Amino acid sequence: MSDNQEVSTTGHQWDDEEGYPLQEYNNPLPKWWLYSFYATIIWAVIYWILYPAWPIGNGFTKGVLGWSMHKELREEMDEANAKKKVVNEQLASMPLQEIAKKNDLLQYAISGGKAIFGDNCAPCHGQGGIGSKAGGFPNLTDDDWLYGGNLETIEATITQGRTGQMPAHLKAAGGAFDEAQVNDLTQYVLSFSGRSQDAAASKRGDALFHGEAGCNGCHGDQGNGSLKGTMAGQALPPVGAPNLTDAIWLHGADPVSIRESIAKGRMGVMPAWGKGSKEVGRQLDPLAIKQVTLYVHSLGGGR
Amino acid sequence: MHQTSGPKPVYDYDIVKYFTIGAVVYAIVGFLVGVILALELTFPGLNADIPYITFGRLRPLHTSAVIFAFGGSVLFATSYYIVQRTCRVRLFSDFLSRFTFWGWNLVVVLVVITYPLGLSQGKEYAEPIWPIDLLITVVWVAYFINYVGTLARRQEPHIYVANWFYLAFIITVAMLHIVNNLAIPVNLTDSYPIFSGVQDAMIQWWYGHNAVGFFLTAAFLGLMYYFVPKQAERPVYSYRLSIVHFWALSFMYIWAGPHHLHYTALPDWAGTLGATFSIMLLLPSWGGMINGIMTLSGAWHKLRTDPILRFFIASLSFYGMSTFEGPMMSIKSVNALSHYTDWTIGHVHSGALGWVAMVSFGAIYHMVPRLWGVAIHSTRLINLHFWLATIGVVIYIVAMWISGIMQGLMWRAYDSFGNLSYSFAETVAAMHPYYLIRAIGGIVFLAGALVMAYNVYMTIRGANKG
Amino acid sequence: MQHATIEKSIPLMAIITLVLVSIGGLVEIVPLFFIKGTIEKVEGMRPYTPLELKGRDIYIREGCYNCHSQMIRPFRDEAERYGHYSLAAESMYDHPFQWGSKRTGPDLARIGGKYSNQWHQAHMLRPQNVVPESVMPAYPWLAKNALDYADIDKRLRALSKVGVPYTEEQIGNAKQDLMAQAMTGGDPAGLTKRYGNKVPKDDFDGHPDKITELDALVAYLQMLGTLVDFSGYQAQTR
Repeated sequence: MSDNQEVSTTGHQWDDEEGYPLQEYNNPLPKWWLYSFYATIIWAVIYWILYPAWPIGNGFTKGVLGWSMHKELREEMDEANAKKKVVNEQLASMPLQEIAKKNDLLQYAISGGKAIFGDNCAPCHGQGGIGSKAGGFPNLTDDDWLYGGNLETIEATITQGRTGQMPAHLKAAGGAFDEAQVNDLTQYVLSFSGRSQDAAASKRGDALFHGEAGCNGCHGDQGNGSLKGTMAGQALPPVGAPNLTDAIWLHGADPVSIRESIAKGRMGVMPAWGKGSKEVGRQLDPLAIKQVTLYVHSLGGGR
Repeated sequence: MHQTSGPKPVYDYDIVKYFTIGAVVYAIVGFLVGVILALELTFPGLNADIPYITFGRLRPLHTSAVIFAFGGSVLFATSYYIVQRTCRVRLFSDFLSRFTFWGWNLVVVLVVITYPLGLSQGKEYAEPIWPIDLLITVVWVAYFINYVGTLARRQEPHIYVANWFYLAFIITVAMLHIVNNLAIPVNLTDSYPIFSGVQDAMIQWWYGHNAVGFFLTAAFLGLMYYFVPKQAERPVYSYRLSIVHFWALSFMYIWAGPHHLHYTALPDWAGTLGATFSIMLLLPSWGGMINGIMTLSGAWHKLRTDPILRFFIASLSFYGMSTFEGPMMSIKSVNALSHYTDWTIGHVHSGALGWVAMVSFGAIYHMVPRLWGVAIHSTRLINLHFWLATIGVVIYIVAMWISGIMQGLMWRAYDSFGNLSYSFAETVAAMHPYYLIRAIGGIVFLAGALVMAYNVYMTIRGANKG
Repeated sequence: MQHATIEKSIPLMAIITLVLVSIGGLVEIVPLFFIKGTIEKVEGMRPYTPLELKGRDIYIREGCYNCHSQMIRPFRDEAERYGHYSLAAESMYDHPFQWGSKRTGPDLARIGGKYSNQWHQAHMLRPQNVVPESVMPAYPWLAKNALDYADIDKRLRALSKVGVPYTEEQIGNAKQDLMAQAMTGGDPAGLTKRYGNKVPKDDFDGHPDKITELDALVAYLQMLGTLVDFSGYQAQTR
């Protein structure tokens, strides 16, 4: 077969410039090639009979199997859901606190929560929930919570979302205070962590904090945030005002960042993931939110 | 037996020389940009926040430089070389020849300027903005006239098989280019395509797949049908096979586009047609490989001494492999895994580097001594280039197979509870080592092209001195 | 007919080739314009607002489609990762389509509303700051470049010529609507009237005083996949 001398050339030739013209043998089509070609055609015809294939008029041939990619998905989803049905129903009906006590159920929920968290939450809060300084996205593995770290509050945060309410204070940014006053407030806030460099300014800031600026209305008289703090002995509204006395700073611990927060405000947004929120197409159902809640709670900071 | 007679025609070799040099230069440009892109994915931030060289703006430059600048120049050079020699007549019009050369290179220059500036139509492999598209159309019409005009004046009764493929390539690419780029201009640089959504997707991949089918397959088969028998000094294996596979390929390739859109919003029936025709396309595609390899058989001993033949046999092997891999990936269930992953990238490169570039290198090494009338500067360097190219392609493809299949599997991996095992970001992190290996493969391949450029330069310099 | 006849004749060769290569395209493309249900009937689709359209132009300019798909496939893993599979109807006003072919980054078909504007701002400035595994380049210039929207009405006009149902009122108020959506003037009530009350009006880029390219891009990203109401959607045989 390699050098079939019985087969002659077609008799045509081209380009004999270098003494060896282009010629063509007239070998027959290789049998294996031809039969394989027929086989692919037969395969295709069978495929056309079984599956949607040819457009005709205003429709197309549906195929005798009745297959469609969307039907295939429905079957796949039904099968997966059937496997999870019992455990999902348990999860759905049980309160979070109860689930947390049942280890096998909890492990299942955490696995599901981790999967959802990885693609939906981690872009802001990081893989494993370690947070991100760059956008002011909170670390979920520590015990510092803005709105609360118990199961019910975490679930509410995920379902309804949260919007930060730290207003701008500098006049140029729409606030009511001048540069010097913002500097004074900064010095006072730094004094909570023993870092004030200017006692006089800090004293002036103190007056503003508890007076004209009204910072204590959210951060509390002692600056320890809306969760722990109080104003005149009263509990504070749950506005997510952070504790200013610890070492955890959402938008940076250095004086420049703190001043920036005071001057321009911070309006961090946690999107609402619950059904019925206006953004369609990426909502999480209550069961999924429950699982994410249990996962987040398990990261280390839950309380 | 037919014998040619009469005085030897004065061929226009200058135009072939221009396009050949262009091909060598654009090969290096295209591969170099590819290496930069591979490194940008490996080391994000490598673009140093310079907008003009971000991955998104540079990637179209890479694909266009390799397919249209390098591949296009090779096809202009070889088609002008082959059509003259197989018709025993000078090219139809010296003006049109030069017009196609300067026109095509103007297109390339405009593309190199506009893409980094972010001027793009946003359709893959069809990114040039509308004025450039018009210029391409004009150049293409000139090419068609010049090519057909030459065929019409041929001194041989039969049109040689290589020319069938080139003619099909020129006609089909014209049709694809015009339909896919129909758009309504907003200003001198911007436009919106007249088609949208699902129809635009279908038309785009009808175009995109057949840019592969007719630009990178049919036309390069034409090239193969001339240079392989010439270099091997043996007749083409089977005239009958060439007829059957040429017509089957031309008819069937055009249907394969929807396999790029499996499981998308394109209706099921269209996907079925794309998949089944892709499978039926396997044997017609292999017809070219069989004819090439069987032509070389009987000349195996020459492989020991002739590195150009090695390029041809390697390119045909990669061609056979990727034309098998392609239909396999067009099967819906395989495509469900491979689509959107690096597997596709690996597949494209086994075709574009393994087949297109390798067969082009062989053709360039074959033509250059004949165009300039001297022996090649160094056969050993051709051999070195062969090994660099082969090793580079293999490293590249294997890295992309592993990363592509791994990523596809990670996306759909479930833990024992039936929940997704990996977040998307985790799959990105897993790709890192393979992106590095891929970049190394690309660098090795680029090094081979630089060896070729040096060899070609020294050959031409020798000719000019002599 | 002997093949020799064909291979001796350029017209025969060229015409037979042209006919053969035309068939496949005609059979696969033309029915897509006619077969009922190719584009699903859904509630909620509307043309892009002027600001979103500019954002989409920037998406194309930066070549985002080279690494991001906007086409969720009907698979269980994609449904769980990204949400409901994409419908043809959802890209019916996309000139050109942006389904993409490669996921170096994740699918974006339903990215809208998923993350806050602040996240997008931080992410565009330096992706690795928020997603350490990311291989995406930074786009710091988007927040610096003022958005050029002088010809926005011409863009709406061009799209209306190729079938996007922009009304004369929408085209005439394009600039106003663009400014209103970025909350820098215009007529917010008019924007709502023309594009519906689901259109978010916001300071997308974190710079309330100016309209930048980031405003447009984030406005576009934040609406992706949010238009169709799937609560009443029943899969149709296509």
